[in-house]
Amino acid sequence: MAFLAVAAGLTFYALGQRTSYFYMPADLAAAIPAPGERFRLGGLVEKGSVDRQGLNVSFAVTDHDRTVRVRYSGTLPDLFREEQGVVTEGALAEDGVFVADLVLAKHDETYMPREVADALKEKGVWQEE
Amino acid sequence: MTGFWIVAAVLTAAACAAVLLPFIRARKPPAGGSDIEVYRDQMAEVDRDFERGAINAAEAEEAKAEIGRRALRAADADAASARTARTRAARTLASLSVFAVPVLALGLYWSLGSPGLPDQALQARLAANPTENSIDELIARAERHLVENPDDPRGWDVLAPIYLRVGRVEDAVLAYRNAIRLNGPSAERDAGLGDALYRIAGGIVTAEAQAVFERALAEAPDDPKANFFIALGMAQQGDAAAAVERWQAMIADLAGDSPWRGAAEQALARTQESMGEPAEGNGPTAEDMQAAAEMSAEDRNAMIEGMVASLDQRLRDNPNDADGWRRLIRSYAVLGRQDEARDALRRGLEGVGLSTDDGRALMRFAAEELGIEPAGNP
Amino acid sequence: MTVEIGHFALVLAFALALVQAILPLAGARLGDERLMATGAPTALVGLAITALAFAALVAAYVASDFSVANVWENSHSAKPLLYKVTGTWGNHEGSMLLWVLILSLFGGLVALFGTNLPATLRANVLAVQGWIGAAFLLFILATSNPFARLVPAPIEGRDLNPVLQDIGLAIHPPLLYLGYVGFSVSFSFAVAALIEGRIDAAWARWVRPWTLAAWIFLTGGIAMGSYWAYYELGWGGFWFWDPVENASFLPWLAGTALLHSALVMERRSALKIWTVLLAILAFSLSLLGTFLVRSGVLTSVHTFASDPTRGVFILMILMLFIGGALALFALRASELSAGGIFQPVSREGALVLNNLFLSTATATVLIGTLYPLVVEALTEDKISVGAPFFNLTFGSLMVPLLLVVPFGPLLAWKRGDLYAVSQRLFAAFGLALAVIVVSYALIDRMSVFAALGYGLAAWLIGGALTDLALKAGLPRASLGVAARRVVGLPGSAVGTVLAHAGLGVTLLGIVSVYSLEVERFVTMKPGDTLEIAGRTLRFEEVTPVRGPNYVEDQARFAVFAPDASPQGEIVSAKRVYTARRMPTTEAGIGTFGFSQLYVSLGDPTADGGIVVRAWWKPQVTLIWLGAVVMMVGGVFSLADRRLRVGAPAARRKKAALPA
Repeated sequence: MAFLAVAAGLTFYALGQRTSYFYMPADLAAAIPAPGERFRLGGLVEKGSVDRQGLNVSFAVTDHDRTVRVRYSGTLPDLFREEQGVVTEGALAEDGVFVADLVLAKHDETYMPREVADALKEKGVWQEE
Repeated sequence: MTGFWIVAAVLTAAACAAVLLPFIRARKPPAGGSDIEVYRDQMAEVDRDFERGAINAAEAEEAKAEIGRRALRAADADAASARTARTRAARTLASLSVFAVPVLALGLYWSLGSPGLPDQALQARLAANPTENSIDELIARAERHLVENPDDPRGWDVLAPIYLRVGRVEDAVLAYRNAIRLNGPSAERDAGLGDALYRIAGGIVTAEAQAVFERALAEAPDDPKANFFIALGMAQQGDAAAAVERWQAMIADLAGDSPWRGAAEQALARTQESMGEPAEGNGPTAEDMQAAAEMSAEDRNAMIEGMVASLDQRLRDNPNDADGWRRLIRSYAVLGRQDEARDALRRGLEGVGLSTDDGRALMRFAAEELGIEPAGNP
Repeated sequence: MTVEIGHFALVLAFALALVQAILPLAGARLGDERLMATGAPTALVGLAITALAFAALVAAYVASDFSVANVWENSHSAKPLLYKVTGTWGNHEGSMLLWVLILSLFGGLVALFGTNLPATLRANVLAVQGWIGAAFLLFILATSNPFARLVPAPIEGRDLNPVLQDIGLAIHPPLLYLGYVGFSVSFSFAVAALIEGRIDAAWARWVRPWTLAAWIFLTGGIAMGSYWAYYELGWGGFWFWDPVENASFLPWLAGTALLHSALVMERRSALKIWTVLLAILAFSLSLLGTFLVRSGVLTSVHTFASDPTRGVFILMILMLFIGGALALFALRASELSAGGIFQPVSREGALVLNNLFLSTATATVLIGTLYPLVVEALTEDKISVGAPFFNLTFGSLMVPLLLVVPFGPLLAWKRGDLYAVSQRLFAAFGLALAVIVVSYALIDRMSVFAALGYGLAAWLIGGALTDLALKAGLPRASLGVAARRVVGLPGSAVGTVLAHAGLGVTLLGIVSVYSLEVERFVTMKPGDTLEIAGRTLRFEEVTPVRGPNYVEDQARFAVFAPDASPQGEIVSAKRVYTARRMPTTEAGIGTFGFSQLYVSLGDPTADGGIVVRAWWKPQVTLIWLGAVVMMVGGVFSLADRRLRVGAPAARRKKAALPA
């Protein structure tokens, strides 16, 4: 019993500490996470915003409401494209730029990350085929 | 079709036989094993472990006693549950199942399946007699051939006009260019290329298209297509007088049954009409478009006639197109040209085949919606 | 005609599955032996008919018959033959058909090799298999029919997702399904026993080979899937704690627990209720996995195009089987006699501890996987539970479990002597200590945690070897005698040793990669060199290459050892599949011993260079080799003659023939 209690406690501690929230750019207007707090940011890659400087990439994630600048250092997924859905994970830096260490775009050309699809559908920006 | 039903029947019979097997077999079904055998084996295993020295004598004894107790309990339970009988209900249930399997399978298949539809393996489709191919299949055949032999001059020559006809104008341009590269220019190829370029540009004779048409005329000065488009180009650039002159000369030279006569006459009429109005410099195409939108009823009729004529021509070239025939027959009927409608129905039935589903549907369509019976003896 | 025969066969298989579901069950109720005996022939003919339907679909794929909508959507005439065949199950409809085929394969195997079972048990098991088969066949026919036709047939297909055009698709899903679906047999045994109300030690032995077979396949399927993701996705990772990976891992954990608890039940007639519950849970978790993948309720890189109606249908199947089985369990559990009591320090005590850890681990993974769904339903917040959560919770459960693993097999049944066992494990403990000290002292960049991880791996492998040595009679017996004894050991004993050692091997690989991996991320031009973990990588050139249905830019890298001797070449590529205009990254991998050099290409830069990402993955292959060792252990255990008990020699021969 004691063992199970410890395991359960550990699990709920971890759920509290080790999970990350998912936000769209517009959500950040309402509640700005503290710099350094990890979360996932999703939306569409804004057209014409992708700027590659050697290994570093910078682009803007938008929900056609607000736009957040993202910095990333690494290889982008094969299906990373402008005006396509994307999910990034990382934290806000002091200068308000989102520094991502993970960029996800799915391995299927018709894919739209579900969170992004739901949020964009609510806004009426994007429609499923 | 029959083959399918034979196989389906054999499969169904096998399924029913599986249900019936235990009932028709004279031999008693195997009684099956019992847990006693497991415990007997466990005993033997304990003995082996003891011989190996994995356990000592006391442990072995204890383990065997425990297994023995379990075996006794199992034997009691076996005795209690050993009541195999042959009931009437069983026979009924099995018979019902044997009946239900084919009924259920056929019923479901009837609503889900397409029993008459043959396989359509791609290779077989492409290898079939070309007259049975649809236009798409013919194109795929030619494309496949050209992927393997990209320098086959004849292939491009055949494919280019087909692309043009089905509206794949960009492919047509590529195909014509390949054909010209491999065969050298000819009036027909150049005129075709010009036509494709004209369509890509959205109905404008561009400078590039004009150059190609002129090259065609250098080869064959009386090529009607090239002449027609050169004149159209002149008209689009505002030189209506030159265009009229050119069309008039062209009509004079044309053979009586040329499909270009109608088109040229209409274009000539329209251009002459617009000449009556004050010319406003070099009329750009945007204004042409405007003019088309504000066309008089007469002009619009002329345009419809032109479209009908081109549809007619297309169906003469490619008669296996039930939808096309339907449109053509309806058009003639709407225009009040009953004789031509009847003739079109006759040709359509020949084209799609009188005894095919399409043929019957076409006949029904004509009779019920338009009250038209085929002309002559189909 | 072939296509329509396949379609008809599928419908017929459904009708026959219904019969298989009803008649044997009724027979067992009525006590009619002929009715019970209908189970085997219907299962076998059902297998043949389902196989025919599957073969028809494969034939349609091979022939590029685009009049079949499923073929048109997922195939292309220019695809290589292998991918035409594997493409059959590279999509929702086809993979469901494969799922059902494997289900009926297991049904057929029970019919063939289950002759040692009591007639009523066998009838009930086959009937439950029939129910599962009928439910999924109905699902296929109603929502995902692979034989739907298109008129007129298009001339070209839309091609298979390029990520799936890989040899991995030929192996991974079939293995995984063999594992998933294999647990249906354990499930059927549990439900059949509950229906009969009779569960005893013999039941555990009958169900064991089926659980073991499913476990072997699932181990292979998960390992294969992990390796596939590693080399195909180009991220260099081997496990992402992705919901769909978790979905395959959950039944594995439950199945592993089941294998261990069934041992206690077989030997000591204890843990009966728990074992039956685990048998139900293992398959329930497989079904849950299927639901998660098919319904699209969770975001994952693995999901097929999702369709809500399918999700609802699978959810209904899920509730029917899981709910039904658990209800039956609740009804009967009180009637089952509890087993004997036992000492905490004993083999059975150790196995109970194993079960406690494994089932808690299962629960944490399950919670982590479903938590985002729950949170979203309650608060509309969207959250993600990723690797940090799982590493913390799962990791802290696994470490103590792995620490006690070597004790288990050495403890005697009933009354174990912990002191004596500790003495015997002294050598293994010494080995582990030595590994910790030596690795920490000698290897650069070695953290304390990594050294402890190495020590744990050495402890596991050393413990397994100690077990083997003791069973062989060492140190008392001479080496010659011991060697002969090892050969004569029962398969299950060897299986235990290998499975536990394999665990250690996998752990060794994981610790190595996590602690010693080197990553380089640079822009390179032809002629540039890159030094990574002592080796040198020289970027030679980029050449365009034309494949059967794609074009790619291949970048060639020459590899040089620390002493500058050439060590071959690594080819990495950016590929574009022509039909879907879809780009993929083809990672280049060079294997050196157990370690690998992994090179993945990024985007070209403006000045003519290309972004290159290279990893040195020390001992990475051990992760999967360990799984292979575990599988071999499973096979040894499966070959143990005791599992075939009850099938008299003559009958066994006959039964072996048609297989």
